[in-house]
Amino acid sequence: MLSNLLIPAVLFFALGFLAKLIKSDLRFPSDLAKALSIYLLVAIGLHGGYELGKADLLTALNSVMWALLLGFGMPLIGYAILVFSKKVDAMNAAAIAAHYGSVSAGTFLTAVAYLDSLQIEYDSYPVIMLAVMESPAIVVGLLLAAWSRRRLAQQQGEPVADTENGDDSDRGKLTHILRDAFTNGSVVLLLGSMVIGAVAAPQSMAKIKPFIEDIFMGVLCLFLLEMGMEAARRIGDFRRVGAVLVVFGVAMPVLGGLIGVFIGHLMLGFEVGGTVLVAVLAASASYIAVPPAMRLAVPEANPSLYLTLSLGVTFPFNVVFGIPLYHMMATAVTSA
Amino acid sequence: MNEGLLEGDMHRLHPEKLITVITSDVLGDRLVKAVKQRGASGYTIFRAQGAGSSGEQSGMLDVDTNIVFHVVVPLTKMSAMLDALEAIGRKGHHLKVLVSDVNVLWPEKFE
Repeated sequence: MLSNLLIPAVLFFALGFLAKLIKSDLRFPSDLAKALSIYLLVAIGLHGGYELGKADLLTALNSVMWALLLGFGMPLIGYAILVFSKKVDAMNAAAIAAHYGSVSAGTFLTAVAYLDSLQIEYDSYPVIMLAVMESPAIVVGLLLAAWSRRRLAQQQGEPVADTENGDDSDRGKLTHILRDAFTNGSVVLLLGSMVIGAVAAPQSMAKIKPFIEDIFMGVLCLFLLEMGMEAARRIGDFRRVGAVLVVFGVAMPVLGGLIGVFIGHLMLGFEVGGTVLVAVLAASASYIAVPPAMRLAVPEANPSLYLTLSLGVTFPFNVVFGIPLYHMMATAVTSA
Repeated sequence: MNEGLLEGDMHRLHPEKLITVITSDVLGDRLVKAVKQRGASGYTIFRAQGAGSSGEQSGMLDVDTNIVFHVVVPLTKMSAMLDALEAIGRKGHHLKVLVSDVNVLWPEKFE
């Protein structure tokens, strides 16, 4: 546990968190966090693509299949738990569940930093899973929301179709949203960088090594500093979210981590490092790609609920406690 | 003297309506489409931060960024635009819509 906390990236996350708690005037320029996340996605994409260019195609395809299953399956599990808890309505349940099926690149990269610090080797396949898992959960979340909206309208005896605005009909909206989910900036950037990393000549890749490797952890520190401040900013919303949902924000990643460990080792045959990364993918909740999609397409859901859960509860939990926990689980399963 | 100057200006100024919408950045494209479909000749968007019923909008994450959307239209086109904005609001989106009287130098730019 202590070794995880003493990684610079995690310490910077704690610094950002503390800065906000003590009401420091520390503040990033408004677009810096977005610029840093673009860099991180390009760097991890290029690096992963380069490694995947040398990897086994069958395992890569198998990883993609399991990533899709996780991306489609985790939101359904989350939705069922949330609806069963009766603490939120169906629309909020759909929006929150979508966050838990998608992934947090920040958590994934922190796990990479964790494995690096312990000198544990990891497979490159989870990088492609990271790219694949960004979108399916958005689609599932939107379908769950559309289904819930329809049921709600039927219960209230309201007309189901929403045709007040030409192409804004349900079908037009769904097509538009599906296109948005798969052309999402993070997905395009990550997949595009992976393709470039895979096809680029090795000697030309060597020239950009300082860009994608040498400065990577430093940039991650800056990014996590900002994310620490963003996470702490959500603390005030805990009361609005309620204890049951905060428990969900901790229990859901642990459940995801367990499923991820099972898939990573037993289904994909990864060793400890790769298994930890798959567990982190299944355990993490998106706070960059999914919230805008939900805000746009599920306006009935309350953004402070899903943002507080994904950014204020699950992200700090995963960074501080989750990653070492998934490491312990992966070690237990791989050595069994 | 000021009155004389104002009177002089009034001859070249033409009344229009300025519709200002403060909302989430994610609705930007939808607003652009709505006003263009209803005959707006152009629009202006500023990034903004602030706080309201949706909580603080820090501008750090895409979902936490607000915009101020300005469109100047003749009175004849205003109702259709307000209908479109109301339709967006009815879906549950949070928008602040302000309408003000403005005077412009070249009215043909807004027709």
